[in-house]
Amino acid sequence: MSFADFIRQLSILMGLPFVLALGLAAATIVVVRDWRAALLAYGLLSVLLALLLTQGIPMEWALMQAIVGGLVAVMLFLSAGQLRGVRPPAAGREGRWPQLASLTSFRLLAVALLAGAFFTAHSELPALPAVGSPLSDAIVWLVLMGVMGLALHEEPLHAGLALLVVLAGFMLLFFPLTRSRVIIGLLDSWQLLLGLAISYLTVSRGLAGVETGQEGPAFRWRQ
Amino acid sequence: MIAGPVLLLTLLLVSAIGLYFLRKLEALAAILAAAVAGLLAVVVWRSPLGTPTSLAGRSILVGQPVRLQDLSLQITPASQALLVFLLVTAVATFVLAWRTYQGRTFYPFGLALLALWSTAALMQPLTLAPFVLALSGILAVFLIQAGKVGETRGAWRQMLFPTLSVPMFLLAAWYIDQAPLNPDDLTPYRIAGWLLIAGFVLLLQPAPFHVATPAVAGQAPPVVAAFLWIGGQSTVLFLLQRFLVTYPWLTSAVDSASWLLWLGIFTALVGGALASMQDTLGRYMGYAAVYDYGVMLVAMALRGTAGVPVAIWLLLTRTVALLTLATGAAIVKHHMATDRLSELAGASSRLPWSVAALIMGGFALAGMPLTVQFASRWALLELVAENDVRWSLFLYIGAIGALVGAVRVGRACFGKLSASPVERESFGLAALCAILVGAGLLLGLLPQLLTGPVAAVILPLSRLGP
Repeated sequence: MSFADFIRQLSILMGLPFVLALGLAAATIVVVRDWRAALLAYGLLSVLLALLLTQGIPMEWALMQAIVGGLVAVMLFLSAGQLRGVRPPAAGREGRWPQLASLTSFRLLAVALLAGAFFTAHSELPALPAVGSPLSDAIVWLVLMGVMGLALHEEPLHAGLALLVVLAGFMLLFFPLTRSRVIIGLLDSWQLLLGLAISYLTVSRGLAGVETGQEGPAFRWRQ
Repeated sequence: MIAGPVLLLTLLLVSAIGLYFLRKLEALAAILAAAVAGLLAVVVWRSPLGTPTSLAGRSILVGQPVRLQDLSLQITPASQALLVFLLVTAVATFVLAWRTYQGRTFYPFGLALLALWSTAALMQPLTLAPFVLALSGILAVFLIQAGKVGETRGAWRQMLFPTLSVPMFLLAAWYIDQAPLNPDDLTPYRIAGWLLIAGFVLLLQPAPFHVATPAVAGQAPPVVAAFLWIGGQSTVLFLLQRFLVTYPWLTSAVDSASWLLWLGIFTALVGGALASMQDTLGRYMGYAAVYDYGVMLVAMALRGTAGVPVAIWLLLTRTVALLTLATGAAIVKHHMATDRLSELAGASSRLPWSVAALIMGGFALAGMPLTVQFASRWALLELVAENDVRWSLFLYIGAIGALVGAVRVGRACFGKLSASPVERESFGLAALCAILVGAGLLLGLLPQLLTGPVAAVILPLSRLGP
């Protein structure tokens, strides 16, 4: 038995635990505020996604997804790491309200409510093409969590991770459907570019209020 | 023999890379970027698609396709028209950006964006074209942010919606591929139709998904924002037309004309209403553009009647209007060092031509008489009223909102200068604004000047295929 066969069989055997861990990782990304925990959850999600993908696509292609996820996590880690010790500028009462509305406890409650709705209605959901029960649940859950993350988070790191969670759900559905190496390669490259853009926005947002004494008039764009 | 797409994309991308290293020499970068775009516009416009031509001793066949496995790129008569439009708009924008302090990275990134929009317009299979637009959204992040720190909302939103649309199109492509396997079952077509509609709603970004436009307007340099709207929205509307012609079942499967019409009217109403109550120049510009875009969507919805010629006409006139407004806004923002309406008093005494461009652009977006958009808007309103008078009433209400916004912006620029000394606009800037205002007036008085370009595009656009 080759290593690829072993991984595929492991993925089938451990399908349900992997799906549960994947769902938990996605929920963690949405709920936690600490960026290290969110990035760890995203790294775990990428590995689990690759393991689940081995059920439908060749091992090498699935491995590429894990590598891309890892690289994105590293990019975001380096960007967020640069902002350690940087204090955001004090916001007025008006500027603080989105943060008040998305406290960790609030997000936990929102995720719990969504989970309740999902478990109540998941048997009624229309069947997805070419995927079985635990995988289709994982796909729907990932998309739901990602969209919820996009709605609840405003700053680029968490919102960007939520966007990548939506795309992870899509990859889990679409990769087994398509047999085109070109398209899979393009989609993986796209995720890397997205990671780059999210990292850039994370740094841009995080450095607010740090730079002083900017040259020239306020509306002279600098690059 | 060099294929047209290879020449176009290679020149754009190589120039973009070269200009990135030359960006500190802003004047040179702007002139080179405009020259490259202008040269390509002439080559694409003048060269016959099916006959080889010679350029610098090399043989070129503009209409020759380029294939890479399942993907192909080919310049067709319809895409030829769009490419010329995008390239000519880029020439004008590069010149305006150079004179109005829009940031040095605009020239290389602008050329790279042109390459991506062109690729989306030429791409086969069609369902992969939105993926290229999503890539352009990523690139636009760097252009909108332009080295500024702090606010990132505009850049984020510009990237978000095209990204979310990609899964819809790729899944729709899979369903379309499955449909012929069981010709009696129409379910795949129905699902594909809804996925395409959902994908297009995210790509077109009508209200309530319009949030990227005002956010970009508030954050990005005004001329850059106008370039992003003109280029991005034109490419998306072109793709919509390609989809509707390529997949005729799409029109019947989900009544695309109806949803497009209502989305357009809703967008125009929201844009007009919100344009009337903004406190900053950037956000006013954004919402006025949203109103104008809603009108464009209504024209596209009436493609079954005479909507396509009117939509092309509107596309040309809105380009002049948006560039005029953006140029005026950029100069006023730069010289007054603010874009809050409450702090613009006295701008008219120091920057008379820039304020004239600002007001003229605003009036044009509202479709006022004697402006570039008047005749095209009138034609659309007549067309809309033939179907249902209530729809034209809604568009009028939106126009009143956009007009109120333009009047508020204009009023804010008059009065006594209260802030610190403001530098007068230079002769070059005044001349630039005067040319834009003059061009708007001329096209407002003689709209028949645009009959030729519109007529040249209609026939290939109505025939464009897969």
